[in-house]
Amino acid sequence: MLLNIENLHASVGGTEIIKGLNLQINPGEVHAIMGPNGSGKSTLAQALAGKPGYEITAGAVSYKGENLLELEADERARAGIFLGFQYPVEIPGVSNVYLLKAALNARRKESGQDEIDSVEFMRLVREKAKLMQLDQAFLSRGVNEGFSGGEKKRNEIFQMAVLEPDLAILDETDSGLDIDALKVVANGVNAQRDGQRSFLLITHYQRLLDYIQPDFVHVLAGGRIVKSGNRDLALELEANGYDAVLAAAAG
Amino acid sequence: MNTSTINDAIRAAWQATGPDEDALHEMRREALEQFLRTGLPTTRQENWKYTNLSGLAERLADDLRGEPTAHPSQQKMLCIADAVQVTFVDGIYRPELSAADELPQGVQLHSLAALAERQPAQLRELYGRLAAFADSPMVALNSAFAGQGAVLEVADGVELARPVCISYRSGRSHIAAQTRLLVSLGARARATVVEHFCSTDSVFVNPVSELHCGPGARLDYCRLQDEHPETWHTALQCAALAENASLHTTQVDIGAALARNELRLNLNGRGAHVEAHGLFMADTARHVDSRIDVNHLAPDTSSRERYRGILAGRARGVFNGRIYVAQDAQKTVAELTNRNLLLNKRAEVNSKPELEIYADDVKCAHGSTTGQLDANSLFYLLSRGVDRNTARNMLITAFAAELLTDMRIPEIAARAQQALEALHTDGETGES
Repeated sequence: MLLNIENLHASVGGTEIIKGLNLQINPGEVHAIMGPNGSGKSTLAQALAGKPGYEITAGAVSYKGENLLELEADERARAGIFLGFQYPVEIPGVSNVYLLKAALNARRKESGQDEIDSVEFMRLVREKAKLMQLDQAFLSRGVNEGFSGGEKKRNEIFQMAVLEPDLAILDETDSGLDIDALKVVANGVNAQRDGQRSFLLITHYQRLLDYIQPDFVHVLAGGRIVKSGNRDLALELEANGYDAVLAAAAG
Repeated sequence: MNTSTINDAIRAAWQATGPDEDALHEMRREALEQFLRTGLPTTRQENWKYTNLSGLAERLADDLRGEPTAHPSQQKMLCIADAVQVTFVDGIYRPELSAADELPQGVQLHSLAALAERQPAQLRELYGRLAAFADSPMVALNSAFAGQGAVLEVADGVELARPVCISYRSGRSHIAAQTRLLVSLGARARATVVEHFCSTDSVFVNPVSELHCGPGARLDYCRLQDEHPETWHTALQCAALAENASLHTTQVDIGAALARNELRLNLNGRGAHVEAHGLFMADTARHVDSRIDVNHLAPDTSSRERYRGILAGRARGVFNGRIYVAQDAQKTVAELTNRNLLLNKRAEVNSKPELEIYADDVKCAHGSTTGQLDANSLFYLLSRGVDRNTARNMLITAFAAELLTDMRIPEIAARAQQALEALHTDGETGES
């Protein structure tokens, strides 16, 4: 098992948001977590990535058999966890390519590899940028600086493609995307599916799942997973709305 | 030591240093008397409100009596590609460490002491024209003791392509290095001048620079203050710009226990332009005070001042920026900004940008912000696997990036970046 979340309770600013969540992800699986606004989807993503201020009050999370909660955010990333941000941060003065190289080398160092050769790095970066239909000029610009909403999301998947994580947590990567951008993002994700890499897709809408086929769909409400199923569950949510599904689950 | 004992010691030190009769003797004597009347500035004076020199008072007499050594430290050398090198050690010109003779026609570079001996009249034309000792005790102190320094003159229409790099090194502790730099560019002349202060011992450094830019002249002036962490450094540069002259200044303050830098610019001629950049940083309990006064005294002049401060540990930063626009300096365009980054809850900065405008058709703006490292940006970098220290350094460098990219001398930008990464942040977060 790649990730095992047991009875997770997490608070932000003293308010409990995640209230006893269980989830198991095996290598190669794609899980989608859906839920209404305020159900704790983003909190789960941020807590798994190790954002400071997200306090774990109870429960356990193991990743590759180790206690994930003991690791700092950067250690989690180097261990192969990638968070695709719902709202990627603009960082003027740090270029995209500089950050990527530092990140990739940090990850390589962790696994005992040498730093990547500059020529090889640029080849890799150009190839992935092309896949994500990002202009080469983006590489030398500040991280997300002046990017449109869609460009920021494509940049997240571009970074994921370069860093090749073992577990990608994509937080509402589809929000704010038009249908063309959504397809590019979905293609980028699908290109990374290799039977070993796992994905946790967090989304409000079923639409994303038309393009990225999940193995499992979970409904998150009130900080817990209230229903799990296969792709049909997403279609049911789309057809009947969260309230009906939640009412049925509660009943 | 009480004031009269200190004054006696200073007077004795003064008598021991200078030659009895030279071109500047009378001026130096007057400056000494002026300084002895006023003493060091105190925090009761508005210009020195946040910068306390009482620690300097304790060591001043000793430092002034210090004997220069023959052997400078080899540390902290700055090798600027293709530069004409001029070296001072413990405040004394060292011809064997300088190469002032390899200059094209129309460019004269002298040691101040040599010029005082050979062409006193020429020296008097430049010396003290912009930095009047009556205005400031520190200038008076410098004027009283500054028998050493460099004089660069570039004739009309001459472009000096190679930068002139003046290094002020040290060989021992407890010495006072008070030098004077005089630069005079003729009409349409061009030059790049670097002053590099790199003491490797605890010394007192109090230099004054006077920069004359003739009509249409272009001067790039860079000052890198990379002093020993126990050095006291108080510097002043005064510049005057004739019509259509253009001055680009870069101030980088890295070291010193206490550093105070003051830049006074007079845009005297129509169409004169100034671009003034400053990057100052301090950590532990160090103190850095950066100050700029820009006087728009003629129509159609423009200036842009960009200052950034980065304070870590318990360091204290002070920024004062003032733009003055005289009544007939119509169509002045001026923009002054100061941004500060505090890396520790105990670090602080006092920032005061000011506009004083007497003309009615001008475009002037000023602003100041002070903040901490952005926690969301930091988390974003961490979430990519970059370790905390590297991530913080990325953000600190990014904060200064605008200035670093604009630096005319890449070696100075590289040193500034290295110093930013070496700031002692004491593991405190300082994130918002």
